[in-house]
Amino acid sequence: MKKRTIIFSLIAFLVTLSLILPACAQGDGATKPGKLTDPQVLRVNLAGEPNTIDPNRASWSTERTVIMQVFEGLLGFKQDLSLTPVVAREMPTTANKGISADGKTYTFKLKNNVTWSDGKKVTAKDFEYSIKRMLSPDLAAEYASFYFGIAGGEAYYTATDKSAAEKAALKDKVGVKAIDDTTLEIKLVDPLPHFLSLMALWPVYPVREDIINQFGEKWTEPPNYIGNGPYIMKTWEHSDHITLVPNEKYWGTKPFLTEITFKMITDVNAAFAAYKNNEIDIIAPPAGNEKTVMADPVLSKELVRYAELVTFAFQFNLAKPPFDNKKLRQALSTAVDRAAFVDKVRSGVGKVALSWIPPGMPGHDPNLGSEYAFNVTKAKQLLSEAGYPDGKGLPQLKFQYADTGSNPLIAQFLQGQLKANLGIDLTLEPMERKAFSAAVNAETHTWAWFGWGADYPDPQNWLPELFGTNAGNNHTNYSNKAFDDLAKKANIELNETKRLQMWADAQKMVIDDAPIVNMFYRERFVLRKPWIKGHKTTGMDGDVSGDMFLNEVYVQK
Amino acid sequence: MFKFIVRRILWLVLVLFVVSLITFTLMHLVPGGPWDREKQLAPQVVDALNKRYGLDKPLYEQFGNFLWGVVQGDLGVSYSFQGRGVTEILLKGLPRTAILGILAFILAQAVGIPFGMAAALKQNSTTDYASVIFSTIFASIPGFVLGILLMILFSVALHWLPTGGWGSPLQLIMPVICLAALPAAQSARITRASTLEVMRQDYVRTARSKGLPENVVRVRHIFRNSLIPVVTVAGPELANLITGSFIIENLFSIPGVGRLFVQGVFARDYGLIMGGVLFYAFAIAILNLVVDVLYAAIDPRIRFD
Repeated sequence: MKKRTIIFSLIAFLVTLSLILPACAQGDGATKPGKLTDPQVLRVNLAGEPNTIDPNRASWSTERTVIMQVFEGLLGFKQDLSLTPVVAREMPTTANKGISADGKTYTFKLKNNVTWSDGKKVTAKDFEYSIKRMLSPDLAAEYASFYFGIAGGEAYYTATDKSAAEKAALKDKVGVKAIDDTTLEIKLVDPLPHFLSLMALWPVYPVREDIINQFGEKWTEPPNYIGNGPYIMKTWEHSDHITLVPNEKYWGTKPFLTEITFKMITDVNAAFAAYKNNEIDIIAPPAGNEKTVMADPVLSKELVRYAELVTFAFQFNLAKPPFDNKKLRQALSTAVDRAAFVDKVRSGVGKVALSWIPPGMPGHDPNLGSEYAFNVTKAKQLLSEAGYPDGKGLPQLKFQYADTGSNPLIAQFLQGQLKANLGIDLTLEPMERKAFSAAVNAETHTWAWFGWGADYPDPQNWLPELFGTNAGNNHTNYSNKAFDDLAKKANIELNETKRLQMWADAQKMVIDDAPIVNMFYRERFVLRKPWIKGHKTTGMDGDVSGDMFLNEVYVQK
Repeated sequence: MFKFIVRRILWLVLVLFVVSLITFTLMHLVPGGPWDREKQLAPQVVDALNKRYGLDKPLYEQFGNFLWGVVQGDLGVSYSFQGRGVTEILLKGLPRTAILGILAFILAQAVGIPFGMAAALKQNSTTDYASVIFSTIFASIPGFVLGILLMILFSVALHWLPTGGWGSPLQLIMPVICLAALPAAQSARITRASTLEVMRQDYVRTARSKGLPENVVRVRHIFRNSLIPVVTVAGPELANLITGSFIIENLFSIPGVGRLFVQGVFARDYGLIMGGVLFYAFAIAILNLVVDVLYAAIDPRIRFD
């Protein structure tokens, strides 16, 4: 299933995890290959045809996986998900005058040896064009709202009904400017401490104005698809495969692979069969096969597991009684045996979650939420305090979910837990996927299954957007003035220690009020052929495991 | 006959209009739109997207724009495959789906008709029972089960065939077998039944009684006449096969048109849904017309008045 969410994780957590999970010990990547004799071809699978591979417009993980091989941004992520300069010469800081004292102006100095795949130089102008194009009202880029903090960005993007002249004027007011070929200046409305993370994401990768003007919508077809990354696109057979080959003009370290094939097998069982038939080198086996894989003498040796920055939870709609009752929410949260959930429903893949921000992210607190640890006596006590002793007087509870994959199993588990532990009946309401999303977005749901993955590794991405009053992805209708005030301050706090403390406090408020029942932190479960070496994973991987560092992968049979 | 065809084509235009109208209405009644995501898009983004795809206009205007496009041969743009026109997407996938469909159709008839005929000519023989078993099995196994079974056998266990994709003849084998299974079974059953019926007709008895050799009776009188019901079924069957199968194309990763329509519905890709439905309706109507014309060629009693 496609996820718009881009998933992040920190290697620090990987290390912890590897103590528990022996399969993790097979990580490699540090060793440099000797003489490579085998054909250096990597074959991986995308969940389907990418909707677009235009960096400015892309929003799904399949799209990002392709884009990341062909383009490089000003900044990028290291394997531990800390930021690193890529096209930029250095990280902007207040010390090197890259960030102004008020935190509202960022100046990026570019390397001067970065080239496009047709040999032209990558300049600050390319970035200016790209960012302004991404914020254009006519393009309707889906990730643009992340960049509304750029001065004039939102005004330009929302000018859909304005005349061409007015749009042009608003475009000129967008606070992005190429001072010269190697200097890019970006002005913000307010200080944004997480702004550098945003500058490492694909929507602000550079794109070529002349190419886009010349080819229009067809610029993403080979050979028009000019990038500045280690690979170029050789073929795109729509809905069948994409082939990438090394970019001869690449300015950085040349990759080992001579070809990457992205297949587009949409049926998960067929993709698994293709892996077993040696047609694909890295694959996620279909959900439900975890136990079989772990017991298989061959497959278990090819297994790679690592944590992702994804949390799954059951979200209450606080506007729908009886879920406005905090004690009731706490009672329900305490009545769920998460260890049994991870073991039985998730086949032991994943980690019990009691708090919201996952391990491996700044802001994760391992002790937070311990009051919700499974405890039937306490749950009954809370239920009684909520005004429903032994569930008496409680209206019929309903739970909604998208009727796909393992979701029915998850819902049945919750139903069983409430019945067994509190004697409460739960009505399950399965829905078609889009209908479910529409219901949650319109907030007609009462209690629903939901997950969140990091767009960038910062608690700012995990709290105000979901728990701020009337925030875009707040579908619990949670509203807490203290939280809102704190979030507002934390959003612009430039002192990193103070800022993280503020987010920690904000998360604590949310956990106390229990608008959600945190269930588990997701874990990536993939199979990799033994001849694939140098595969470096992060919790931030997109559709293909290790897609951030495919330029370090090589084949050794 | 010319008049008949013209009349049918005029009707076709009306049918396509009604089909578009019904689809358009249903599509907008279904809960959830193209921009509903698990992770909700910002309202400004939804506004910009609606504007870009003309969804901010009143529904009647959207429908009118669609029709105006169709008249000009443009089925609109896909919402999910950004920047690609529905016409372009359908035209690209159609030849592949059609090749698969035609091969499957040929295979189905090549297996089904002789099998059914042999079963009828030797009623209650081993051949007859074998045909019953064959038909029952292939009529009842769903395509995705057969597909997975073939895949496990030929790809995973024996490593003979690729699991799917497009480009080499080897990749066609499994999907063609899966697509042909059900029509082959149906053809065998229908051919058997109709042959048995024809064999008991007066004109067959007459042919035999006037001393025609058995081979002539079979070929000229039985075979030809028993084909009418087979052709009746074959028309829609062919239409069905060349418009593709979501399940088989999805399972074997065939970049055809069969899965586009279902993908369109799942994604609420209004452009793909409208274009896909119109294309389906057109293909089925045209093939039915071809079948009706073929009737006359087979059965001289049928005339176009």
